[in-house]
Amino acid sequence: MNEKKTFWQHLQAWVNGEEAILHADEYIKKREQPHQKRWIKKPNMQRIKENKGLYWFLCVLVSLVFITIMLLVVSHLPTFGQPINPTNNEVMERYLEKGIEETGAINFVAGMILDYRAFDTFGESNVLFLAVISVLILLKRDKKNINAREDRETEEDERFDRSDHKSILKIGAKYLSPVVILYGIYVVLNGHLSPGGGFSGGSIIGAGLILYAAANGHEAMRRFFTFKTFTLISVGCLLTYCGCKSYSFFTGANHVGYEIPKGIPGNILSSGFILPLNICVGLIVACTMYGFYALFTKGDM
Amino acid sequence: MNMELSTIIQMVLVVFLIASAIGVSVTRNLFLAVIVFMGYSSIMAIIWVFLESPDLAITEAAVGAGVDSVLFFLTLKKVHALKGTREG
Amino acid sequence: MREIIAAIFIIAGILVFIVALLGIYRLKYVMNRMHAAALGDTMGLGLVTIGLMILGKDVFHVAKYILIVLFFWMSSPIASHMIGKVEMLTNKDYDERVHGK
Repeated sequence: MNEKKTFWQHLQAWVNGEEAILHADEYIKKREQPHQKRWIKKPNMQRIKENKGLYWFLCVLVSLVFITIMLLVVSHLPTFGQPINPTNNEVMERYLEKGIEETGAINFVAGMILDYRAFDTFGESNVLFLAVISVLILLKRDKKNINAREDRETEEDERFDRSDHKSILKIGAKYLSPVVILYGIYVVLNGHLSPGGGFSGGSIIGAGLILYAAANGHEAMRRFFTFKTFTLISVGCLLTYCGCKSYSFFTGANHVGYEIPKGIPGNILSSGFILPLNICVGLIVACTMYGFYALFTKGDM
Repeated sequence: MNMELSTIIQMVLVVFLIASAIGVSVTRNLFLAVIVFMGYSSIMAIIWVFLESPDLAITEAAVGAGVDSVLFFLTLKKVHALKGTREG
Repeated sequence: MREIIAAIFIIAGILVFIVALLGIYRLKYVMNRMHAAALGDTMGLGLVTIGLMILGKDVFHVAKYILIVLFFWMSSPIASHMIGKVEMLTNKDYDERVHGK
């Protein structure tokens, strides 16, 4: 570093942190060599050596065609938020004008996904449940899905968990996870009044459960959340959802009367079935999130 | 130049979004890809707020940046792809 | 007047964030980078939140901002502690790197 540098080179080297290291020149040489080599190096041609020219040509061609089609489609889309767009049709007017009156929910989105389009949400909840069941089939550790290495790792993890109780992480998780779960419960219960609802609140509750389980280990988690709890909550919530919506479809379609009173919009106990349905969806989502975590880490719940 | 400030911020955010999306698919290091994907989810959450759908923003921040990354890290641990840990 | 004071606080916070980002980019080792990142998480976030508190409409706004700051000031040191612990446990030449032998 004997030669004079201009101010700009000096500043550039300072920002890159090169002058902070002793023997900077060798360090830079050592660092930049593999970097440059990687740009020049040809990709691995072993598998595609028969037609490598055609391969690159086709890659670029297919990408260009797709990019062109996408850009053309985007350029023909109507501008976002214009009043003459095809999305602003009578369905949206009906939702906005009669939404509060018909569903009783101030949050239009909750009224839409849990009252007008309740079948959609039921299907989504079932999809989540089926996803956990598929992961359970693949990753559950039982007699046929076991090997010595994973056993040893699990044992080491448990020993590591037990060895440092009252570490900083555990104390932090002890104070933070109740706050996170409480916020999730607030979001679920206020789903028909403010932004949020079953899916958002349920995923926040699931994140809180994952935090607690990651800090304290599965032994502490098993005191209040086992596989039996998971099945009970998930199946119970799905059946409750199904029963509620069946009741409201039956009475609404046959004009029987006996509708659920809508209440005053804005109160917490209002808007008919939306509050219990939100709670059901939130519990299903929370159980799903924690179920994924437990199955991926330990292969059991 | 009669653009509003929020439009400019949205454009900058969309540029960052595209950059992180390309970064996820280009990078060879799987650990780095998961970290960049977390950044992608956070930027997407802010864009949902600008598009006036806070429901989706909450869900994106909780699922995309929180739970998804945890599941990706667990998968990387499961297939022994994390460098520098016990499995090497 | 209130807006001007709030703007001064927010701009100071954003400057602290810029310094933290520059530090993360410039420093090369995990521990040094952690030191730079903690600056943004504590002081930058605190200054921005004080600015937003001055702009707040009623007591509940301010209380929510205080909750956000408390949450960050509890969770960020724990995260830094875990990163440092993992680096200490897994880096084989940790002593050489840190103590500069």
